This record gives sequence, C-alpha cells and structure tokens, in this order.
Amino acid sequence: MTTVVGRAMPGLGPRRFVRRLAPPWPLATIGLGVAVLSLLPISYLLLRAAGTDADALAFIARPRTLSIVVSSVLLGLLVGAGSVLVGLPIAWLTTRTNLPGRRAWAVLTVIPLAIPSYVTGFAFVAAFGPRGALQSLLEPLGVTRLPDIYGLPGAALVLILATYPYVVLAVRGSLMREDRSVEEAARTLGDGRMTAFRRVTLPLLAPAIGAGALLAVLYALSDFGAVSLLQFDSFSRAIYLQYRGTFDRSLAAVLALGLVVLTLAVTYGEARLRSRARHFAGTGPSRPVERVPLGRWHWPALGFMTVVVALALVVPAASIGFWLLRGLAQGEAFRDVGAAIAGSLGMGLVGAVLATAIALPVGLLLARHPSRLTTLVERSSYASFALPGIVVALALVFLTTSTVPFLYQTIILLAVAYAIRFLAHAFGPLRATLLRVGTRVEEAGRTLGDGPVRVFLGVTLPLLRPALLSGAALVFLAIVKELPMALILGPIGFETLATEIWGATSEGFYGRAAGPAALLLVMSAATVTLLLREERR
Amino acid sequence: MTLDPRSGSGRGAPSAPPALRVAGLRRTYGPIVALDGVELEVHVGEMLTLLGPSGCGKTTLLRLVAGLEPPDEGTVEIAGRRVAGPGASVPPERRNVGMVFQDHALFPHLTVADNVAYGIRRDPDRSVRVAELLELVSLHDAGSRMPHELSGGMQQRVAIARALAPRPDVILLDEPFSNLDAALRTQLRGDLREILRAAGATAVLVTHDQDEALTLGDRMGVMVRGRIEQIDVPEVIYSEPATPFVATFVGTANLVHANCEGGIGYTRFGPVRLINRPTPTGRASVVIRPEHLELTEEPDGPAAGDTWRIVRRRFAGSEILLEIEAGDGLRVWCEAGPQVRRLRIGDTVSVRLRDVATVAFAPGRGGASRKLDAAHGRPTGGLALSTEDDAEVVPAPSDVPGP
Repeated sequence: MTTVVGRAMPGLGPRRFVRRLAPPWPLATIGLGVAVLSLLPISYLLLRAAGTDADALAFIARPRTLSIVVSSVLLGLLVGAGSVLVGLPIAWLTTRTNLPGRRAWAVLTVIPLAIPSYVTGFAFVAAFGPRGALQSLLEPLGVTRLPDIYGLPGAALVLILATYPYVVLAVRGSLMREDRSVEEAARTLGDGRMTAFRRVTLPLLAPAIGAGALLAVLYALSDFGAVSLLQFDSFSRAIYLQYRGTFDRSLAAVLALGLVVLTLAVTYGEARLRSRARHFAGTGPSRPVERVPLGRWHWPALGFMTVVVALALVVPAASIGFWLLRGLAQGEAFRDVGAAIAGSLGMGLVGAVLATAIALPVGLLLARHPSRLTTLVERSSYASFALPGIVVALALVFLTTSTVPFLYQTIILLAVAYAIRFLAHAFGPLRATLLRVGTRVEEAGRTLGDGPVRVFLGVTLPLLRPALLSGAALVFLAIVKELPMALILGPIGFETLATEIWGATSEGFYGRAAGPAALLLVMSAATVTLLLREERR
Repeated sequence: MTLDPRSGSGRGAPSAPPALRVAGLRRTYGPIVALDGVELEVHVGEMLTLLGPSGCGKTTLLRLVAGLEPPDEGTVEIAGRRVAGPGASVPPERRNVGMVFQDHALFPHLTVADNVAYGIRRDPDRSVRVAELLELVSLHDAGSRMPHELSGGMQQRVAIARALAPRPDVILLDEPFSNLDAALRTQLRGDLREILRAAGATAVLVTHDQDEALTLGDRMGVMVRGRIEQIDVPEVIYSEPATPFVATFVGTANLVHANCEGGIGYTRFGPVRLINRPTPTGRASVVIRPEHLELTEEPDGPAAGDTWRIVRRRFAGSEILLEIEAGDGLRVWCEAGPQVRRLRIGDTVSVRLRDVATVAFAPGRGGASRKLDAAHGRPTGGLALSTEDDAEVVPAPSDVPGP
C-alpha cells in the first residue's frame, strides 16, 4: 500500500532567473571605466617593468633583493603559522566548549581587526622600544636594555596580533555551520572525542584554517605600517626606501612587481581553498549543541585567552594611554593635530561620497545586468583592492608623472585613487540589497503608472538607502585607516592621522603619536558603531 | 506471517540477553520532557520500528541509546551490558551501536570506501569487509567516489554500510528516508529490509511515516509525548490498538460510543465483539475502522437504523473513503466499495456493520490523547469521549488505513 505524497516544492516557488538584458549604455560605460581605472596601475607597472634594461636584471640578482624575498616569505610563513596557533584555539574554545564568558571573549578577540597595524606597531615600539614606556618604568630599577623589539620578532608578533582574527572568523563560521552529526557518527563508529576531532573535525576545518591563514599571510605581505615602524626589511619597506632614497624609481617598480607576484600566488591559493570548503559546508546544528566540558583545562584555557587579549588589546591601549598622558603633560599630544584631523575627515568623506556615487551605477549593473562585462568589473575591483597599497601608490606615481603630471600629488588624484581602490566596499552591500529585493517591486511600480526614472527615485533608491550608508561608512573607515597611499600620493603638507602617527613614531616622538592614535581609534570605533546600528535596523 | 517475532525470532538463542533493553528512561530539556519513562526490549536479529509524531521523543531515544546524550534517569543495556544508568556511563565509541543519521552525516572529506572503513580501521581484513558491504548495498563500483557526487539514495546506502561495518550489536536508524523523495522512499524501504536481513542485524528504526513502520517492523512501537503507548507486531497494533491515540494514529479509525456488556459492544450500527482484555463494561468508545462498515444504497436496507448523507470523499491510493453524516450530525468514515462511481457528495446512503471483532476504551482512557491533540493544534473535541455525541471521528494524520 502506497501513500501518494505530493512532492514538496523546494523554496517558495520556481527558481527566479535574473533576466539577461543588455545593460543601458550609461551603466555599461561607467562599468567599463571602473574596470579600466582599477586595472590601470598594475598594467602600467607591468608595462614599465617589461621595458626595463640590464640594470634591473642585475638589481634583481643582487643579494639584497634576495634577502628581501627571503625576509618577506619568512615573515609570511611566521604570521600564517602564528595566526593559526592563536586563532584556531580561540575559535574552538568560544564555539564548542563551556569556557566561561565565551560570548565576551568572542567579541574581545576580534576587535584587533579594527586597529590599523601601524597603531599596534606604534604601541609596541612605544611600549617595548629602546626609549619606550617599559624601559622608562624599569630604569629606576637599573634595567638599561630590553630585548630588541625591532626586526623580525617584533614585526611578526604585531602582525600575528593583527591577523589572527581572520582565522578566528573563518574557523568559527565553519564550526558553526558544521553538521554535528558527522562528529557523532565518528563517535558511534568507535572514536573518542580527541580521535574524532583529529579524524573528522580537523580535516573538515582545514579549508577554513587555510583560507584564514592565507588572508593573514596576504595581510603580512601587503602591510606597510607595522613593518616599516618595526624596521623589518620585507618588500613593502624596501619598496618605500628604494622609492624615497634613490633617484632610480624603476627599481622600486621591480620590487613592487615581486610583491605583486607573491601576493597573487597567495590570493590564488586562498580562492582554491574557499571553493573546496563549499563541499564541506554543513547546514548547521539541528539540535541544541552539547558543549565540551573543559574540566581541568578550564584555567589554561582562560589563561590563554587572557594573554591574547592582553597582548592584542591591553598592551596597545596601555601604551597609547601612557604616552597620551606624558604627551599631555608636555603639551604635545595634540600639537598640530588639527590639520591631520581635517585631512583624515575630509579625505574620508570626499572618498566615501565619490565611491558611493560610482558604486550606485556599478551595483545596478552587477545585480541587474550580469554579463561578461560585470564579471570583469567585479574581478578588477577586487584585484585593485587585493594589491598592496604601496604598490598601487607607486604605480599611480609613475602613471601620473609620465602622462598627466598636473595631477601628480594632488588631492583629486588621491580621492579618485581611494574611491576606485575601495569601491568593492561600497558596491558589495548595494548589490546584495538589489539581489534580495529583486525586480518585483519595481515592476509593481511600473504597473501602477510610474515611469522608470520615477520608479527608481521613488521605490528603488529609498530601499537602497541603508546599503548606500553602510557602503559609504565602510569606505570612510578604510580611507581613514589607510597609510601608504596617503604618504606617497598626498600633496606636500597634506597630513592625516595615519601619516601623523607614522611620522611621529618613526622619529621617536611617541608623545606626539599618541594623540592622533587615540583620535583614530575613536573615529573608527564611532564608524563601526554606526555600521552595527545600521545593520541592526 | 508464520513466525511470531514476539518470542524472539532470528539468530538469538532464547536464553541470550536482548540486544537492547531500555528501562525507565527519562530525559528533559529544561521544561520540555522529551522522554518520560520509556521501556523497551529488542531481541537479537529483530527489526523494531518506532512510530510517532514529530517531537514525540523518538530521536532523543536513539541518541540516548547511542550515548550521544546522557539520560536523566533510567538504564540502557546493550547485549546484556549496562551502558547508561546508575553506575554506568559508557561513551558512544565503546557501546558498539551503529547509527544511521537522518541527514546521513557522511564524512565529506573521505571517499565512499573510506567512509565505510572508518569504524574498522584496526581490522586487518577491512578491505575485504568494505568490498563485502559495498556489494551488499549495491555500490561496489562507487568505492572511490566522494559523498557529494552521490545521489541521496546512494548516500543513504553508504551510511547504512558504514554503520554495519563494525558489526554493531544494534543499529539505530533515525528517519532514514525522510530526506528522500516519495518514489525513491518506497524502493529503498524494500532494499533496507533486505540489507539488514542479509547482515543479520538487530535494528531500531524511528519514523513518523506509518507505512514505513508497518511494513518494515517485525514489531512496532507507537510513541507519543515521550512514552511508548503500545509495542507489538504491526497487525496487532492495527487490529487491537491499546489506546485511542494508537487507534487513530495508525490507520483511520472512527471512535463510536457503545454500551458494553459481556464482551459485546452495542453501537448504533449494531453489536460488535470486543477482543481486548479486560473488556470494559458500561459506556465506552469502540474502534470502528472504515472497512468495518459496508455501504448499502437503499435507505431501507437490512440494518439501516439511520440515513446517512455523503459529505466528503477522500482518495487514498488504492481505495476511496467516504465521510458520511447522520441526521444527528455524527460523521464517520467508511470504505466506498464497488458502487463508488455512482455516488456523489450529498447522496443518501445507509451503512451496515460487518461481522468484526474490535476493541473498546473505557471513557477515562481518552484524557492523555485529548491533551496531545490540543498540543498539535487539532480540534480538542477530536477524542472527547465524554461528550454527549454518540461518536467522534478522527482521521489519521496519514491518509491510508493499514493492511
């Protein structure tokens, strides 16, 4: 006897296909323009490097170049491994165990993502450096020398503290999506908890761990602020020194290309891992999750979390606080800070508005007219974002000085460069909203008698408001935190909080760097709060 | 069926301990009582199905047996060994149970063969065993494929082979067909029975599909609100339900008021023999299945006390059920019979009770089920046996009466 059961329709209805309409020409033109502008710097760099002569080849073969490559790779490996060693336990402890206060730890441990690496770098130099806070506190006790913070150990430590949240976020996501019955199946098949973790959980987490670690490596390779303040000669710092210190700038271009090759390899690996992770993704736990009791591991686990948070948050905060007080006492904490605030705020706002204005047509193009052109626009946008800032800055210097010299070191160039570089931040939320809303409401507007323009202004735009705002806020945040482009592309006398912190720290005026550092943190905290509030609405 | 599985058929010697014994098992999640004193015995080589509405605690029972969660009270014994309860808390990996999960839970990073070999990695003959099991589930050429390349039905067979590999004392199947579409489900149901028979496995399968429970189980249990209401061979569950809930949940049942005396229930359709012991006396509800009623078209037919009007018809695969209403508003379901083509809604008919034996419930028995129905959002009057209505009708959640 058979029950005739109607086959349930998955989802709410037939799958909706996005109609493939040819994009209107204004949208297509803007999209093409964005793609060209995004790819311009790197293409120019390639062209220029292709035209180099025997000198450049000799330059590549120099031992110093080789040592830069080795240093960069070493730093990348150290930061990748370190971010996993720190991030993996944090992710597991906060999702799978009965660790006390795991919610609070989960938030505290990802905050470092919001702190620019040069701020952490400044804080560590100012805390543990030769004339740092610790030294001055210990001097009365007769301590005259501390272990050296400069070089590889310091740079690796600061970058691990800046990047382990990438691993935490990737692994946490994977752990929370994971289908718990897979682990339970392993248990019923004879595995103890540890064995099941090793044979099932860990292999399933591998892509997430790998992706998180590669993001950390990418960050370490691209980073300019921390490595330059900690005086470690990886590619970024070498490029900057080559650019500033010599007349032959094409050698800097050669170095920049080396960095591009390195980062491209890492990006490729990251993308491969992410696509593999898709097969492993579960649908999340269907029943309440039994947490692993830590038992006697309770205290070591809490100790570990405390050390990480102390290094990643408390040390920077304490160091900035110490120098802020000292700077205030000497009256130099906020000296000349007005120009820097104006620079950061102004550039952030102009860049955000510009990026949002460009992102609106680009978002419409991506969501409503998918085609080969949109794939190109999207990829080139992400590519320009993935390139190290120092490379983009350098490429733009070459490009403008040789083709449009009147734009070289102008506010306009910097603003456009920022808008293009951080465009993906702005069109990401827009496209997501457009895809979610669909075209039905617009069609409803049309059937009710409105023309396309009226419908766009009356229906679509109001729906996009939250996405436009959060996109703009993300771009603002990225610009305010950005250092190498502001440093290289900014006009003479142009200052931002970032350049101020960097400059003062480089010269050892920690008291003068503390004020801008505190202000920068306040500014990014305010922006993040705004973003979160908008998200919750 | 010629053998009586109640006495413990299959490989087990009569004196051997049951493959699984559960006693007084209780489990709560905060205020929710998932299991409320479950008693259960599964004999070696037997296949027991547990039928119940969603949320009745079936899955929780399996998880407690497997050791994936601890019980609040009660004991679990597997092959005579206490694994949960006072003085015993054996972790899942040392219970020797196999589990087939609702979503199959295959290891996505391992090939089919490695999935099957997972639980027997220390077995020197594991490659032979894996080949044997893949043969058993007709997947001998799929050993090197990855789980995500397989169809739902194939994934499920891998899950069964994987659970069987370590030769568990008992294999637990949690709604194994719920993720598959209807056509595949019927076919796999037959396959599963063959596979488990061939492997000589002892199995407990939980499901909310009564066809599955009736056709697969040597014995079946009916669970509701954390308790097992009745456990017996399927035909007994259908013909002699122990409670009003079982009567209405398995197949379609009309609960008709009667006056009982001396093993006979006197209903408005006529007298019926009562076979449950002890037989109630006085007012009671008698289970009348649709096939117990014969439709006669002439209102002046032999046993016609009432005239009935057809109000609804329901096609249920191989037969058509009609809901008919008496002058006083009582409605019952009955089988349509051969004259169905000529009948229309609104037609007048009469019914006659066939010569059947059935069961009756004394009025107090309906209480638990009435509360349950309220919890499931059905009209609370569904089983209100104490009202003045002569009978109440509750169609089963699934539309087909049993065999």
